[in-house]
Amino acid sequence: MLRMLARLLAVLNSETHPGQISLGFCFAMVAGLTPFLSLHNLLVLLLVLAIRVNLSAFLLGLTVFSGLAFGLDPLFHRIGLSVLTQDTLEGLWTALYNSTFWRLEHFNNSIVMGSLLFSLVSFAPLYVLSNFAIRRYRAHVLAWVEKTRVMQFLKASRFYGLYQSFSGMGGGL
Amino acid sequence: MTEEKAPQPAYELKGRKKPEKEGWIRWWGLGVFVGLTGLLALLWLFLVDPFVKRMIEQTGTKLVGAKVELGAAHVTLSPLGLTLSRLQVTNPDEPMSNAVEAARIAMSLDGLNLFRRKVIIEEMAVEGLRFGTPRQSSGAVAPSREPSAVAKLAAKVPMPSFEVPNIKTVMATADLQSVKLVEALQADIKKEQENWKRRLAELPDQNKLNDYKTRIEKLKSSTKGGLGGMLGATGEVAAIQKDLAQDLDRIKSAKTDFDRQLADLKQRVDQAIKSPQEDIQRLQGQYSLSPQGLANMSGMLLGGKGGDWVRTGLTWYGKMQPMLAQAQVQSKGPEVVKPIRGKGVEVRFKERAPLPDFLIRAATVSAQLEVGDLKGRIENITPDQQTLGKPLTFAFAGDKLQGVQSIRLDGAMNRVRPAQPKDHAQVRVQGYQVQSMTLSDSADWPVTLGKAVADADLQVTVGGQALAGQATIGLQSVKLAAGKPDAANPVIKAIGGALSTVTAFMVKADMTGTVEQYDIHLTSDLDRILKDAVGRQVQALADQFKKDLEAAVMAKVGGPLNELKSSIGGLGGIGNELTSRLTQGSLGSTLPANPAEKLLPGGLKLPF
Repeated sequence: MLRMLARLLAVLNSETHPGQISLGFCFAMVAGLTPFLSLHNLLVLLLVLAIRVNLSAFLLGLTVFSGLAFGLDPLFHRIGLSVLTQDTLEGLWTALYNSTFWRLEHFNNSIVMGSLLFSLVSFAPLYVLSNFAIRRYRAHVLAWVEKTRVMQFLKASRFYGLYQSFSGMGGGL
Repeated sequence: MTEEKAPQPAYELKGRKKPEKEGWIRWWGLGVFVGLTGLLALLWLFLVDPFVKRMIEQTGTKLVGAKVELGAAHVTLSPLGLTLSRLQVTNPDEPMSNAVEAARIAMSLDGLNLFRRKVIIEEMAVEGLRFGTPRQSSGAVAPSREPSAVAKLAAKVPMPSFEVPNIKTVMATADLQSVKLVEALQADIKKEQENWKRRLAELPDQNKLNDYKTRIEKLKSSTKGGLGGMLGATGEVAAIQKDLAQDLDRIKSAKTDFDRQLADLKQRVDQAIKSPQEDIQRLQGQYSLSPQGLANMSGMLLGGKGGDWVRTGLTWYGKMQPMLAQAQVQSKGPEVVKPIRGKGVEVRFKERAPLPDFLIRAATVSAQLEVGDLKGRIENITPDQQTLGKPLTFAFAGDKLQGVQSIRLDGAMNRVRPAQPKDHAQVRVQGYQVQSMTLSDSADWPVTLGKAVADADLQVTVGGQALAGQATIGLQSVKLAAGKPDAANPVIKAIGGALSTVTAFMVKADMTGTVEQYDIHLTSDLDRILKDAVGRQVQALADQFKKDLEAAVMAKVGGPLNELKSSIGGLGGIGNELTSRLTQGSLGSTLPANPAEKLLPGGLKLPF
């Protein structure tokens, strides 16, 4: 827990662009809430690695959202089942069901559909909210946090040093 | 109104200089992704073979209920295919032998459908298929296994002994129903006699009835005392009449009960008299010594072997059923299936070109039998024929085999409409050289088909559970041996002699019933030959046996039966006593409706 807090503070206090951190959280939400071994998560992994997304934010977010997913599965199941059994969408789902790619994606599973839909709908709001929160944090709280004993202790740690040196490589880890 | 100030970037807070502007693409990240994907593909390539091997072994073992082992599995990517080496499928009923063993199985897979989680095998070649091969270790996965319903039918048809059974031995073990019936009836009659003796004692007897007579006589004499006396007597007469009527009703009711019980007992006695004959017929049938038995001698001679073949065929048929079992119902619209907690549910939609989840479009099979190689082709192997819309078909042929001129086997297993499954098979064998085939291994009555050339045509249809089949077997150049040469029994000698002269015969078999409860009816020229040869001798033996049996049964039942007749006669006394009491009591009927009239002198009528 302390390690996670340290990691969060390190990420927030770094020079990484808020957008990169927010994107890391957003992609982590998609990968964490949906079943991990799904085809779309390969695309998420490609985007996370290829786009300058903050990897620490992604890994941190992945841990948090994967944990949340266990509790949210019943909700995802209800959403997915309701969407998949909508009469008006039957034509679309039938067309997708007949496509090899979408069958591989396993879209017709209630939890896959529910969690993917939930995370995609939440993607943009989370990005905006996260960006706003990081900016507010850096403007109003960062200076105070920097002075706290916890932060002083953290800065003295080996982990923080390593993080700072790697984040200097660009885009932030 | 103050304008909100934009937050300062972290680098400014820390007094560092602004980092250089970087693009959105992280090239080294892209490299890592490509590297990771490549590594995974490489790992898959190394691990796919053992994974497939393990999966086939596990799934096969679960399906068969006994160990399924595979020497090796090899997956090729271009073209996509799978090669299996030395597949062994243990016979669940005999764990030390393999039901099937295949040296090599090569198949080509439809890669695109594999991504859709459908295993579609376009072409499969099965080489070196052998049946019943021995195993080095037991292939059992469960400690014991209940034999299948078909295997339970393995009892052989007993051969007739044609010996006149020893009557003492027969009677010692005979469970004579007639004796039990007579004894039970005797006990019942005795009980009824006791009951009726008690009831008679409770009923008004002769003395009581005579007493009524005396009392009436007395009243008659008392009427001479004047009008007052007459009027007093009238009341007393009415009371006597009432008592008498009540007593007579009791006797009448007892008589009715008695008559009914007597009729019932007499009916049972009649049955008991007939029962010894039923015992005799049953015992005759039990010892199967009848000339009618010869009418189906071919059934006894050939039924055991024929039954073995049918059982073997049905056992294999039963083993194939799980492969054809309906896996799912075809989807016509959105359909929610298989709810699994925590894993969601799969919703199925209508497929434009529906295919089963597992399908082998065509398999060429080369089977190594004792007589030589049999080659064939099986098409449309799938547990979901309903989706495919085509039945499984098979055709095998073998020519110039060892001891067989040709074998043809073809048929279909149709589960396209799962509610109305229909399977059929046709087997044609020509020029089958039979050598020393034991038809009956009975110690007293061995029958061996020393030599013959057989042509056989068999057609079997299974619709649901109903089994129907016909077989015609023609045997030429026959050499039959039956019974022991030193047999003392003249019938066995005669049968042996008759069979040894047979050079050709036809056998026709009709199968009816269900897969688990089937009946084979065999007819043959042999029946006529044997009946002509030994029919009269067997009839004489049967007559003698019946005579001895009648004497022995009657000796045991005759005595109790006579006692029974006398006991039922004894009940007649009770009936007579009841009738006598009724007659005695009928004097009440001589009393007038108005007793006073009888008592008034000169028929004088009272004014009231």
